Amino acid sequence: MERDVIRKVPLVKPGEPGMIVEEAPTEELAGYPSVGRRIPRRDTIFQVLGQLKYINDLSFPGMLYAKVLRSRYAHARILRVDVSKALEVPGVVAAITADDIPVNSFGPSLQDQPVLAKDKVRHMGDGIAAVAAVSEQIAEEALEKIVVEYEPLPVVLDPLEAMREDAPRIHEPRSNIYWEWHIRKGDVEKALAEAHLVVQERYRTQMVEHVSMETHSSIAMWDAGGRLTVWCTVGRITLARTDLARILQVPVSRVRVVSTQLGGNFGGKNEITIEPVLAILAKKTGRPVKGTYSRKEEFIASTTRHPFIMEYTSGVTAEGRIIARKVRLIADGGAYCSWSETTLGKATILSAGPYDIPNIALDGYVVYTNKPMTGAMRGFGAPQVCFAYESHMDTIAHRLGMDPLQIRLLNAYDEGSISATGQILHSVALKKTLLAAAERFGWEVKER
Amino acid sequence: MKKRGRGIACMWYPIGFTVSANPSAAVVKVNEDGTATVLTGTVEIGQGSLTVLAQIAAEELGISPRDVIMVSADTDGTPVDTGAIASRTTYVTGNAIRLAAKEAKKILFEVAAPMLGVRTDQLETRQGRIWVIDFPQKNISIGEVAYYSQVKLGRPVQGSASWNPPTVPLDPQTGQGKPFNTYVYATQIAEVEVDTETGQVDVLRIVAAHDCGTPINPMLVEGQIQGGISMGVGFALSEEMVFSSNGTLLTSSLSNYLIPTTVDMPEIEVIIVDNYDPTGPFGAKGVGEPTLVPTAAAILNAIYDAVGVRLYSLPATPEKVLKALREKEAQNNTASSTH
Repeated sequence: MERDVIRKVPLVKPGEPGMIVEEAPTEELAGYPSVGRRIPRRDTIFQVLGQLKYINDLSFPGMLYAKVLRSRYAHARILRVDVSKALEVPGVVAAITADDIPVNSFGPSLQDQPVLAKDKVRHMGDGIAAVAAVSEQIAEEALEKIVVEYEPLPVVLDPLEAMREDAPRIHEPRSNIYWEWHIRKGDVEKALAEAHLVVQERYRTQMVEHVSMETHSSIAMWDAGGRLTVWCTVGRITLARTDLARILQVPVSRVRVVSTQLGGNFGGKNEITIEPVLAILAKKTGRPVKGTYSRKEEFIASTTRHPFIMEYTSGVTAEGRIIARKVRLIADGGAYCSWSETTLGKATILSAGPYDIPNIALDGYVVYTNKPMTGAMRGFGAPQVCFAYESHMDTIAHRLGMDPLQIRLLNAYDEGSISATGQILHSVALKKTLLAAAERFGWEVKER
Repeated sequence: MKKRGRGIACMWYPIGFTVSANPSAAVVKVNEDGTATVLTGTVEIGQGSLTVLAQIAAEELGISPRDVIMVSADTDGTPVDTGAIASRTTYVTGNAIRLAAKEAKKILFEVAAPMLGVRTDQLETRQGRIWVIDFPQKNISIGEVAYYSQVKLGRPVQGSASWNPPTVPLDPQTGQGKPFNTYVYATQIAEVEVDTETGQVDVLRIVAAHDCGTPINPMLVEGQIQGGISMGVGFALSEEMVFSSNGTLLTSSLSNYLIPTTVDMPEIEVIIVDNYDPTGPFGAKGVGEPTLVPTAAAILNAIYDAVGVRLYSLPATPEKVLKALREKEAQNNTASSTH
């Protein structure tokens, strides 16, 4: 049996900055074959010794600190923004608004998100202006001197309300429903009519945040040759580079994006947030500019998990075979699209569950609300629909007097099963996992 | 009174993007001392991806994983990678690195074959050396071959490759198509204890059986599953962003937005089921996201088993559980009084 091993020993050399890590002579632990071995993470030793450098550990001479003014309202028109008083605060070097941004929009699917809001705010996490100062505290204080005149608009927080024709339009003139997914297989209505039992339920999930230990943090710096380097906590550096080039209107080759190791991502760091603001402030001041999110900003000004409303209707035979499933998903899509299109797509595709069901009708909708952006988060809609389809399975089992394990085994995908989208599945280990978990748990089959 | 229950939930989850291109590219250089350097555009996010990717490169080259240097996360210095998203790193980036390592190995074999007096298809790599198949008395170190190739022949040993999962776009009307190249499967079973006086739910135990194809590093797979379950426990029981009617977030700090701590965590038993996906590197698929997918459903099904109330919304806070218990009690009383 292989055991976890620590293969590196740290040697502290007095008088040297930091520590030198040297490999211990451990030939027997050389690691052949490599695949399948329980090798400790290569960064563990550096984490334990505090040597691992995260973005917020980096700094450069002359570096400034940026802070962003967030909206006072969840939905309002912006009538006027005045940063002149903030610029008078000693230690403040620059302040910017939407007018300083060459192309004020971005987003991985729809470019519906402004870097800084111009005419309108759509949730309280929207940034309106930003300042760069010699310290974070001064930047924070200067935000209070920025004058913003708002005209409040009706706030829509409930996705069902936002779907109504007469609901206030968050991205006027467009409808609040901003993406749809539909999957059809067989004849679901006919199968429901023929079913021994039809079960209908509605499930809901809440908005949650990734809560990475490390909050978003970035540094932007221009060199004399007109190239921008951004050190950032972004897990998708390629996308960050093209987004930055588009916003700043510079060729992609003029932007370099570097990341170190992230202190957690879980989907929350897959797109740019404060980076364009830092780049513009850095250009304006000729100095490196750092911006680090507070915990509150993590919640309101980065992405979150979509709350879902999920309606399930299933038709089953007396023996417990599911012959029809109809699903209607409504995702609370927050103020901007971010990764909603993908989240809704995965959720819709997966929503019937890992079950061999011949007749399927799956519909997914995502809707704007005046809440923080909902985007990528570990599972992309799957934890929501799994909560619904697996609760629903237990209800069906209960109604039929079947054991929850048995009904799953009866309907589960197998090697060669055909998915809801018509794909032939390979390397399907679902029944293996059901049986392995049941055996280890000591699951006793109970039928009524 | 405290009541116990058990709940089961299973799931499927895809690896990679939904239809959209999500390529990874990689460069593998074999150094003059027989070590290797891998260039990848992916970003380590704390899950151990660079360790796993080094293991994949090492396996293909036949060297020790500790002899693989990983260079990552720089748009100037590393090849394109779609990033640590969609549980795709082991599968997609892993495939790219394996292919790049194969390219480098091809050069090693072309250079080593005449040195050993055999054909290239008679060679294999293992333990840092190139061996003649079935005649291991003839062998040579990878470092020696790499040095000779670079310094004498002027042919540095390196390979580059990219990989993108094959998909079929979905029909806009019916949604029929092949959105992903592969999927993973999992089952989690939870045991809970519900306090009927307070509504408090304690998760006592979770058995998690996951398919990830070949586990390149079983310890890191277990770590992912344990971490995912902690996220799932929070999703099931306590985490919620609550807004006032004007859209103000009322839970914007970790004192009122409650993530599970060590004391909230159940005993976790992880099972990695035996599976092999021929489309993944050495049979591997992925594990990152699926780890939390069935957790909340298993816990809520266990609550139902324990106290007979079905909660239709998350999270199952003590207030919500207690309210459901009271409603059930009231219903029972009405039912019995009408008899």
